[in-house]
Amino acid sequence: MNSFYMICAAIAAATAGVLLVMLLVETLRRRRELWRNDILRRRYLHIVMFALYADDGAVPRFPMLRRAGARLLLAETLAGVAAMTYGLDMTVLRRIVKAYGLDRWLLRHVRRAQGYRRARYLALLASLPVDGTVARRVVHYGRSRNRSVRFQALAVRLAAEPMSALRLLADYAWPLTESETAQIMALLRRGVLPVAYEPLVASPCSNLRRVGLCIVRQFGIEEAEPLLLRMLADARTPELDAEALRTLCMLRRPLIRREVRDCVGRMSASERRVLLRCMVCEDYAPRFLHRIFDEGECGYYETMVKSYKRCLA
Amino acid sequence: MQRILIASDDEFARELIRLALGGLGAEVRCSGCGEAMESLCARVLFDLVIVLRTAPFFCGRELIGRLRPEGLRRPAIYAISWQQAERTVLSLLECGVDQYMTFPISLQRLRAKVADNLTRMRL
Repeated sequence: MNSFYMICAAIAAATAGVLLVMLLVETLRRRRELWRNDILRRRYLHIVMFALYADDGAVPRFPMLRRAGARLLLAETLAGVAAMTYGLDMTVLRRIVKAYGLDRWLLRHVRRAQGYRRARYLALLASLPVDGTVARRVVHYGRSRNRSVRFQALAVRLAAEPMSALRLLADYAWPLTESETAQIMALLRRGVLPVAYEPLVASPCSNLRRVGLCIVRQFGIEEAEPLLLRMLADARTPELDAEALRTLCMLRRPLIRREVRDCVGRMSASERRVLLRCMVCEDYAPRFLHRIFDEGECGYYETMVKSYKRCLA
Repeated sequence: MQRILIASDDEFARELIRLALGGLGAEVRCSGCGEAMESLCARVLFDLVIVLRTAPFFCGRELIGRLRPEGLRRPAIYAISWQQAERTVLSLLECGVDQYMTFPISLQRLRAKVADNLTRMRL
């Protein structure tokens, strides 16, 4: 019986040892792969930057492109350069994308992948300089059940057809989230989309209004105040009233106005608290608040001003 | 030779800026954002430090205290970040950061600003 237990223990120890060795080998292999990828990514970045500065019309040669994952690294490198910069000569990047068929390769992966992996490939496509053909081939992903896929398909189309940006945004049937609006703003900051806030804020489409308000906030356009007040007075898009008020706050415009008072009256208690927190952030004086808010809310505001939360708001 | 330090935890961004600043006739070094940056700044007096990150609730005074020896105007400090909040930008500028730029940046513009700064320091 004893020898049986000893054999079992020996087998268990050997199995554990083999598993540990396999785990160690796998960890080392993964680390080595990451290290190789880092080196390759750096080499690709050097080649891309050299091509951008030389701009001699030639397509640069990228080493080891047949290696597994190398094409993805090249696509990520190009997307990274395009996303972090503006004012670069996009023809060089476009030439590289065309010469190495990165757009077709990514489209193939988009077709095969599912869910967030598909959204990731679409996001890469959106960062690359692609043409209208690619945009037409991602149209049907705009009807996907996955929210990310839907939005990234829109981002590809926006990047490829910037002249149709307003129409594309207006046709997008789902309300844009904060992060999606931020991604559109990143496109705008790269100079891909036009910065014309007036038609956006005045538009009847809520998505266009949302993007317009974001432009006003990010660029601090104080001239947009009359438009914002008109938007509050019209109350055509009630879901955006709070955002319009927040925009007014962030511009630090006076809030003791009839339009603001009416709009605050239509808001729910939680929305009013969000607005109060925003006002605390922008250092509004508490003494005029009683003209817009009730006594309890004024007390809440004063507590916020006096508390440490003010620094965190 | 003038010295530039690029501090960032994002290796890709660091490398991108390093390549953009090539050929300016300055020695360009790179480091991570935390202790590596502090220890490097304690050992070497740089002419320009480019920090590629500002975290939320990040006070400019801390950054200046870490990078610039008390009483000195060197190194010049540029901060480049995705943050656009006016409060963050103003606090950094008020604390002595010389330039604040938001991503996406124009590499040509950054190069021109750095070249200009280095020339002014040389004079």
